[in-house]
Formats: sequence, C-alpha cells, structure tokens
Amino acid sequence: MHIPDGFLTPAVLGASAAAGAAAVGLASRRAQKGADEGRAPKLGILGAFVFAAQMINFPVGAGTTGHLLGSALLTITLGPAASIVVMTAILIIQALIFQDGGILALGANVLNMAVVGTGAAWLPYRLLGGSRLRDAGVFLAGFCSVMGAAAATLGSLILSDVHIPVMLGSLSLSLFGVNALVEGLVTVAVVRLLTRMNAEWTPAPPPLSSRGVAGFGIVAALLAAVGGLLASAAPDGLEGLAEQIGITERARLLLASPLAGYEAAFVTNPWLSQAVAGLAGLALTFAGLTALSRILARRKGG
Amino acid sequence: MHHLELDHWSRGDGYLHRRDARAKLLGLLSLLLIVALTPTAYAPWLWLYGFVPLTGLCASRIPLARALAFAAAVLPFALPVALVQWPVAGWAKTLALVEKSYVSALAALALVATTPLPKLAQGLISLGAPRFLVLVTQFVYRYLFVVSEQSQHVRLAAASRGADRTVRFSGDRLRTAAGALGALFARSYQRAEGTYQAMLARGFSGRIHTVELSHLTRKDLGFLVLIVIGSLSIYKVIVLVNQWSL
Repeated sequence: MHIPDGFLTPAVLGASAAAGAAAVGLASRRAQKGADEGRAPKLGILGAFVFAAQMINFPVGAGTTGHLLGSALLTITLGPAASIVVMTAILIIQALIFQDGGILALGANVLNMAVVGTGAAWLPYRLLGGSRLRDAGVFLAGFCSVMGAAAATLGSLILSDVHIPVMLGSLSLSLFGVNALVEGLVTVAVVRLLTRMNAEWTPAPPPLSSRGVAGFGIVAALLAAVGGLLASAAPDGLEGLAEQIGITERARLLLASPLAGYEAAFVTNPWLSQAVAGLAGLALTFAGLTALSRILARRKGG
Repeated sequence: MHHLELDHWSRGDGYLHRRDARAKLLGLLSLLLIVALTPTAYAPWLWLYGFVPLTGLCASRIPLARALAFAAAVLPFALPVALVQWPVAGWAKTLALVEKSYVSALAALALVATTPLPKLAQGLISLGAPRFLVLVTQFVYRYLFVVSEQSQHVRLAAASRGADRTVRFSGDRLRTAAGALGALFARSYQRAEGTYQAMLARGFSGRIHTVELSHLTRKDLGFLVLIVIGSLSIYKVIVLVNQWSL
C-alpha cells in the first residue's frame, strides 16, 4: 500500500501532504498530553512491536499467509491520536530506511494509512467497543482499517490518473478484503487475550456524548445532501449488466414512491431533488431504528 | 543486514557527512520536487537526475554498487504498476514512473547513508516537524530490531513445535498466532514501562533535551544552492536533448 514517488500528481501530493500534516500535527499535540514527552518511549516501543508483529505469519489458505498490520490494535490500546503518531513514525522509518514508500509521497501514505486507517478503525470501536457487541466492534475496527486504507490508496492513484485495469483493481480489492478479514479476526483474538492479561491495556472507549451523536448526524446529513454532487451517474454493476443483455424493460414497479430513483418527484431542481430524497431517507431510517430500539428495550425491560 | 550497513555508512567522514542535516533535507526535497514537476514527455532522459545523488554518494565514499542495489527495493511495487500503464498511457509514462521512483529512492538513500539518525532527527525538528513525532520515530527505530529479534525467537519456537507444518487456516493457528502476538505485546509494554522508569530514575523531567549538533555554515548553504542549480541544469539539459532528438 506504500506509494513510491513519481506516481502521484503534484496536486494530489500537495493536497495530501497538507491534509496529512494538519492531521498529524493535531494528533501529535493530543497524544503528547501537554508538555510531557514521557509518552514518547512507550509509543515508540509499541510502534516497534507493530513492526515486529508483522513478522508473525499464519496460513490463510490457497498457499498464502497473512499477518497483522496493527493499526486497529494500536487504535484500541493507545487511542486514535497516539495511533496516528505511531503509524506516522513507522511510515517515516519505512520510507527512509527501507525505501518502502516515497519521500514526497509520505504525506499521501500518512493520510491514507495512518489517518484514514486509524479513523476507519476508531469509528466502529467507538460505537460498539463499550457495548455487548465489543467483539464485533473490534472485528470491524480491524476490517475497516485495512479496507479504508486500501480504498484511500487506490483513490490517490486514480486521482493521479494512474490507470488501474478493472481486473487488477478487482483482484487488489479482493486480496485486501481477505487481508481485512484476517486483520479483523486476529485483532479480536489478540484483544481478547490482552484483556484477560490486563484489562487496562484495552480500555473501552468513552461513551458517546450527545455532541458526538450530533456530530455524526451532521456528517450524515451533509453526505446525504451534498454527496450526490460527487456521485457517479454511471449505472451500478447490476443495472449495467441488465442494460448490456437487454432486460431493463422487464423491470416492473410494484409500489410507487415519491422518492423513486433517489429523487424527490415533487422537486424540479435536480440537485435539490436528490438532496431532499437523501435527507428524507436519512430521517426515515433514523425514525425506524429509534422506534425499533425502543421496542426492543421495552421488551428487554419486561 | 541492510540497516546495519546504512548505520555504518552514516558514520563516515565524506563530503555529505560533513553537511548539516537541514541542508541535506532541503536539498533532497528540492531535487524531488524538480523531478516530480518534470513532464512525462521527457521520460527517456529522467535517469539523468540520478547523477545528483550518485555524485554525493561518490564524494562521500559510499559503495555505489550496494547503494544502487538498496535503492532497487522500490522496484517490486513500482515496476508492475508502471507496466500496466503501458497499453493505456504509453511507454513514456511507464518509463517515467520507474525512473522517478528509482531516482527518489536513490536520493533518500544518499541522505540516510550520510546522516546518523540523531542528526537527522534534530534536522527535522529544526525544520518544523512536530518534536513529539520525531522522538517517537527515534524510539521506534531504537527498539525496532530489539523487538524484531524477540519476534524471530517466537517464530522459531513455534516452528520447532511443528507450527509451520500445516498450511491450512484453522482456529488453532489463529489462537496460536494471537497468543504469540499477545506475549510480544506484553513484553513490549513491560519494556516500555521499564524504560520510562529508568529515565525517571536518571532525572527525566518530562522533556527530552537534545544538544545542538551542528550549525548551518556557508558551505552548507553553498551545498544547497549547488543541489538546486545542479537539478535545474539537468532539467535544462533534458529539455535540450529532447528537442535535439525530435
């Protein structure tokens, strides 16, 4: 996943470096916890552990082996800010000492693997890590850390006009998918073991505050309202196949809805129509899940 | 081992060794930016930029053949991705990707082979890198090979107990690997705590103080100017040669 120099355009390099530097600067301040640099040895040695952990392989079938990548484990044990700092340190050493990843591309590699990878791990663990679904949260943390970093890396290459043939792209994503599954399973096994050895090593995330929930809501609303502007207009895989083999006209509409095709029929402006449909869908999903969780809670309460 | 050779080379006394780390870092960035901004159309001549790090390596008495081999570590990723560009983007883009990635790796090697890590760290901090991040990086490097050796022992212990004989994925293998990782984590954590306690016992006050190891001299500034002018001159030569060959 380490992109060498020469592959990314100056625009992508610049934007990634700026975003990566800002994120690492913020994470560095939070991880340091004030002026005390005493955490540096602990974070450094655990970073060395992640390096070394990558040497422990196990078979995953078809004659191949897998290994832990470790950003989810770092996120769970150290927290997201410290995890970003440690992953960045590892990437710096890999680029300078082992020529694994470019120097100019370091900003992009840090953004993709340290920042996106850690964020993708933290999100499910933050939501589920303190509940009865903790193992699921840990698994998803491992899974999403790999898939998030892989998607961000492929995105950087595609934005830089690096041609990735469909077959190669699909193969890469499949391999990343297998790695992600393995990462999730190994992370669950390791976290369970570490919790038995010393529960302080795998602290549960703090409960989600109302500000946190509101933050999620705002991000979801923005994605629903604005995401349509960035979405591709091309048909998805199934629709594309139906068009190719000429069976599109066989589709039958059994239930008419004013939001059919993710567009509000009663709004004429194209963007507004998609935004209204997206926000309406968001509101309906939220209302339905809230009602369901209250019914389940009432049943559980007796 | 690769890192041991780099460590040994970095303690030499050649031209680049005597230059300030900041000048070398800025020189490296300047060269890489000029390479990155050179259009793909000049692909047949991009290898000429390699003369900049090669000259530095020669002047610092670093074994060239070994350095060229170390820099080739970038090719296993760069080459396949570059080759798939050929049918769509043409041979020029393929060649440009390989050349740019190799020149970059060689230039980074020239920096690391002539700058001990403490000086490199001080240079990064002086140029504005977050101090805490640089300290963590130093500790990662310091303990990387210690913890890796422990991990090798774990692998050997597992192999001597028949762990390598099965090639199928199984719950038992997963649990064994998780147990090994858990044990390695516990030892690393205890080592980290011990290191911190040892630092406290030696008067660590919460802030790591470093000595200013070098000052920027006129020779260092001259070196930086030389790198920039040299790289721009090579760009000019590439443009002229390309025009002449068309």
